[in-house]
Amino acid sequence: MVSADVVNYPLHQEFLSNGLRVLVSPDRSVPVAAVNLWYDVGSRDELPGQYGWAHLFEHLMFSGSARVASGEHLQLLQNLGGSVNATTWFDRTNYFETLPIGALDLALWLEADRLGSLADHLTIESVDTQREVVKEEKRQRYDNVPYGDAMATLVELVFGADHHYGHTTIGTMEDLAGASVEAAADFFRTHYRPENAVLTLVGDFTVKEAFRKAERAFGQLRGGARRQRPVPGGLAPMEGIPAAELSGRVPAEAAYLAWRLPVRDTVDFDAADLALGILGGGQSSRLHQLLVRERRLLAFAGAHPLPLIGGNSIGLIQLRGLPDRGVAEGVQATLEQVERLATDGPTEDELNRIKAQFGREWLMDLARLDTRADLISAFTVLHDDPGRVNRRLVELTSITAAQVRDAAATLLRPEHRAELIYRVEASR
Amino acid sequence: MKRSDRRPEVSPPPHWRFGHPAQSWLDNGLQVLLSARPGQHVASICLSLDTPLSGEPEHLEGVATITQRCLDEGTLAHPGASFAEALEAIGASLEGSVGYSASQLFVDVPTARLGEALRLLAEAVITPELAADQAERHCELRLAEIEQTLASSARIAQQAFRTASIRPRYRASRFAGGTPSTISAITPAAVVDYHQRTYRPDGATLIISGDLEPGVLSHVEAAFGAWDVRTAAEPTHQSPTRRRIHHWLVDRPGAVAADVRLGAFGIDRTDARWADLQVAGHAVGGAFLSRLNKVLREERGYTYGVHLVNQPMRAGGLLAVQGSFRTDVVVDAITEAAALIDLRQRPITDAEVAEAVSYHTGSAPLRFATAQGVTQNLAGLVAAGITAEFIDANMVALSHVTAASATDALIELLPPDALTLVVVGDAAALHQPLADAGWASTVYSATKLLHR
Repeated sequence: MVSADVVNYPLHQEFLSNGLRVLVSPDRSVPVAAVNLWYDVGSRDELPGQYGWAHLFEHLMFSGSARVASGEHLQLLQNLGGSVNATTWFDRTNYFETLPIGALDLALWLEADRLGSLADHLTIESVDTQREVVKEEKRQRYDNVPYGDAMATLVELVFGADHHYGHTTIGTMEDLAGASVEAAADFFRTHYRPENAVLTLVGDFTVKEAFRKAERAFGQLRGGARRQRPVPGGLAPMEGIPAAELSGRVPAEAAYLAWRLPVRDTVDFDAADLALGILGGGQSSRLHQLLVRERRLLAFAGAHPLPLIGGNSIGLIQLRGLPDRGVAEGVQATLEQVERLATDGPTEDELNRIKAQFGREWLMDLARLDTRADLISAFTVLHDDPGRVNRRLVELTSITAAQVRDAAATLLRPEHRAELIYRVEASR
Repeated sequence: MKRSDRRPEVSPPPHWRFGHPAQSWLDNGLQVLLSARPGQHVASICLSLDTPLSGEPEHLEGVATITQRCLDEGTLAHPGASFAEALEAIGASLEGSVGYSASQLFVDVPTARLGEALRLLAEAVITPELAADQAERHCELRLAEIEQTLASSARIAQQAFRTASIRPRYRASRFAGGTPSTISAITPAAVVDYHQRTYRPDGATLIISGDLEPGVLSHVEAAFGAWDVRTAAEPTHQSPTRRRIHHWLVDRPGAVAADVRLGAFGIDRTDARWADLQVAGHAVGGAFLSRLNKVLREERGYTYGVHLVNQPMRAGGLLAVQGSFRTDVVVDAITEAAALIDLRQRPITDAEVAEAVSYHTGSAPLRFATAQGVTQNLAGLVAAGITAEFIDANMVALSHVTAASATDALIELLPPDALTLVVVGDAAALHQPLADAGWASTVYSATKLLHR
């Protein structure tokens, strides 16, 4: 087992007067700084008719603001050797840059400029161009990719189309077409506010220097009262096995089995996470060993959770058949394995293996300045508790075999699943 | 002016040099590179085997891939699934990659378990079971994987450009992992034979990066010291050459977008123009506001992203504009891209050189900041037959690049009238418009790539 005591990163927190929450974790090992900003807005905040907007508007954050030309934010920092990007997900939009330390002030100034002025500097040209770019992204990454539409269908199946998690972040072509300058400005004024964000700085500076730099860049922005998000209630397990079928030009049939899980980073979620790992999280997992290696029923069998904060997460098992062979037998055998785990629980060896794997992955995420900063932002935004970054290994390794068995027995019951089968379209 | 109106000055990065790995050899010829990275609690190991794919029997291409995939399916000491269990029990992960010039195995493991991980890696490499049923199963999975490749527009484009750019006699022109006809011919005995013939310590390199204890070399010796030197012939590496110009349209009926590759056979890191190409490549198609991405993405909205990608091999390379464009703009995009990479009228500017050099020097410490980053970068050099000295020497070479040298290099490497084009998209919609725009192309189905 990985020793948990190597994880003890320094964490310092201050609130600026405008409500911006700043986390600082010095690391003097390399002359580098990681800047990470989480805005507490994601695709779950989109209403029907707005699907894909949070992500489209993330693109607009690079299209210029009061003192920055379009594309200049990325260009300036990249030309100094920095790596810069942003992503949108169900529960958040994050903006991040990793830079030579000498560029930290510039990066913070650029972030503050767009936070403070973007809503007033949108143009129809930039909205139209980024709308086309995002449509291209949808074509390249989803519409023109085998199985690319599976996830959108699956979340709708699990949550229903009108639920806040019932659509994916890439959205729909129709809703993207409906985004306007006014809608974007309104969205930014609502969600892109100092008090709705967390700024994390990890890198080669003292605590005092880092807070001073954050204050200098962001201190003059106007904030407001912190918005209290209503905590959505979790949905009960699915009944009646909601099912769907898709077909497309894919080489082999695939199946997706999904369950509603508790919200992320809770004991029950973690136990379900480990249960999924024992079923399908690596080469020694049960589904791989039995269905891929021994019985040669499937080309691939994997399981993992999709961690979410708003009421429920998703637990997912993905199966891909061999060419010219269906997945029905593999689905049946998978469900038998889920039931077996629910009855007998994991062995101690299995549990130790899956915890050891989690430990390595966690340490690797923390080894990089950028992912360390992102995790600190995540635990601050989602749980109001950055210190859990240092406690997470202990939390996971404390889960018992009985808890894993119970999670399988209550949260992964075959009758509470949703099922999506992806069929091979007959060739034309 | 308020203080916040003023754009902050950037202080120049401290001069960076690569902290060289400690180099040593075991008596059996295995080279060991140790790179200490304090604070990196997950060590990153790479064992790079000097196994060029030209050493595969031609009718059994893919046997190197199948052999590597069988390594962790059981060893003499840990038969069957117990090997993967032993590896996972210490929190280690094992990944493999088979390239045209080297087979490489990567292990990540918490530093506290490094010694055990090295012993398991050595078992997999030196005494794998290579059980017949596992070899057969991995052949079956490889056949399924080829079908998945042929269903992916981007992966077809990648392979098609390779095949269109490199003369067919060279191994690097074909699928690294073999085709259905060669995979079907691979027997369990062929896997055992390939392992015996090509897995050898002399010529191999073991790279370890992380927060290393002083005794790490003794762990290496304990794990790999008994690996025999076999008296097999030295492997020979090919030096591929360019194929004549081709324009290929690989048909995906009804596709909503097309993957494009437009470029030529390129150069490797030992070419005198390497630093020139890095600079020109950044300006034309590397940076976010590169000439290509600025016009085709940020002005036209034709694509999610377009890049000029420079893929060096051990000898020669592939250099191409890469992007995915919706079907109704793809021909315009190709024509514009061809104009943008033609530097005869619009040479690289001094400002572009300064930005590209600043990018490369500024990003170096970031690329080498983690144990994984160090090992990955060194592994790439080892596969290319280059020493770690290249890293610092290249920094010096970059500082000597001029606007003229960068411009000349790209004009030579991407001759405007001699570019190879691969388009993977809906042929019914694209064939005529491509011809009308001067890109008359031969239409193929993706399965054509499987035939020599």
